[in-house]
Amino acid sequence: MTIKEQLIENAKQGKVLAHKCTSCGLLHLSTVYFCQKCGSKGFEDAILDGTGSVATYTIITVAPAGFEKYTPYAFVVLQLDKTDLRISGFMAGIATPADLPVGTRAKITGFDERGIIIEKQ
Amino acid sequence: MEKVCVLGAGSTKYGKLTESIADITTQASISAIESAGIDPKEIKAGYISNVFGVADKQVHLGPVLMSNLGISDKPSLSIESACGSGSVAFREAFANVAAGFYDCLVVTGVEKVTHTGTEWTTTYFAYCSDFFYEGQAGASFPGLFASMARAYLTEFNTTEEDFARVAVKNHNNGLLNPKAHLQKKITIDDVMNSAVVASPLKLYDCCPFSDGASSVVLCSEKFAKEHGNDYIEVIGSGRGGSPAALQGREHMTTIPSTKIASEAAYKMAGITAKDIDFAEVHDCFTIAEIVDTEDLGFFEKGKGVQAVREGRTNLNSDISINPSGGLKSKGHPIGATGIGQVVEVFDQLTGKAGARTVKDAKIGLTHNFGATGASCAVHVFQSV
Repeated sequence: MTIKEQLIENAKQGKVLAHKCTSCGLLHLSTVYFCQKCGSKGFEDAILDGTGSVATYTIITVAPAGFEKYTPYAFVVLQLDKTDLRISGFMAGIATPADLPVGTRAKITGFDERGIIIEKQ
Repeated sequence: MEKVCVLGAGSTKYGKLTESIADITTQASISAIESAGIDPKEIKAGYISNVFGVADKQVHLGPVLMSNLGISDKPSLSIESACGSGSVAFREAFANVAAGFYDCLVVTGVEKVTHTGTEWTTTYFAYCSDFFYEGQAGASFPGLFASMARAYLTEFNTTEEDFARVAVKNHNNGLLNPKAHLQKKITIDDVMNSAVVASPLKLYDCCPFSDGASSVVLCSEKFAKEHGNDYIEVIGSGRGGSPAALQGREHMTTIPSTKIASEAAYKMAGITAKDIDFAEVHDCFTIAEIVDTEDLGFFEKGKGVQAVREGRTNLNSDISINPSGGLKSKGHPIGATGIGQVVEVFDQLTGKAGARTVKDAKIGLTHNFGATGASCAVHVFQSV
């Protein structure tokens, strides 16, 4: 499996496949191949829980092709627990800002044609 | 390094245009060449910035332009860096003149997309994001900037009305620009009552999809002096990058590439942000202008919104931001935008800006980025 396929398989299990730099320890999403901090290519896999809180989001009403049937929906940037990493995804059924205050607890629950799927916890 | 000058500049009107992409590319280039007072045969190469030529059935625009100018033997290339294509092409042209490879170039940016409709443009523009994480998950470009806006509202003492003030100001400036796409006076209520596109951004927080072309003639100082027309000098050029996806940014209310590019441009010019008299900044959405003016060093982080509230960025106030009307009112033909900003600075510093003239301006800045600021270029110009 490619790294991206592994990332997708992990997302389907509610997990995030991350890369930890073996030189300086900095965590990256697994789609990064060289450490942003020290430039090293040595990474080890780190499987993180896909849980966290909403760092920011938007509710989309004018959607790209293929997403019309889901409107309104949220695009969410999720701050993962116990790390500095964030990851983005799709959240269904959000109609107004009152439905999703910044800081709301959320988790990754899958991956499909809408990318990484995030739901409220 | 050779001193580099802008010797001529011209744009088509921005808006919904009926001519082909090749035709508007040629029209803008001819107006820049005529403004420079040179013969096309003096041009040594052409730089084209364009993103969606495919939408009007013409990519590889360079040779078409050069052929139309009667200089088909001259080399050309096309550059794509999303909405920042224009400034990136300008930078590459600048570097080639500065290095002495060419003494005179034409740099033309163009886009022709309005005939495709909102769904096509919304969908294809999203391909400029980090698609795996963003576009694929349904993020539109308004959605990505709305995510920045939500972060700004959460972090700083700001309201959605504050964002609306940016739109009102830029529409006021655009009313003075005959080439602007949206020549319409609007109020804060108009913005607040317009349809939500991606919460918290509403239709009037967003720049329009526009057609248009802009062009400049760039040359060495020696070439400019020999040709005698009005010219301005490029005194600073900087580029920078940011993580492609918003999720990778340390702060979602800052665009790192703007800071990196502007610091480099100020350093080359030997100036600070305080020396800038006016700036054309990348206001694709109202929130972007506020973030830009902070990242460019005009205001402290979180204070840009206060400056807008107090009218300090209005035309002929503390620092005139987007005297042309900006992307918001002048329009955003994405490949042309970065060049169009240079056209505005040229017009301002050579006394051609008419009713929207920034009084006593000597130093102008252009700031243009691609996507959510993943790529960015900043240039500083000085009157001669």
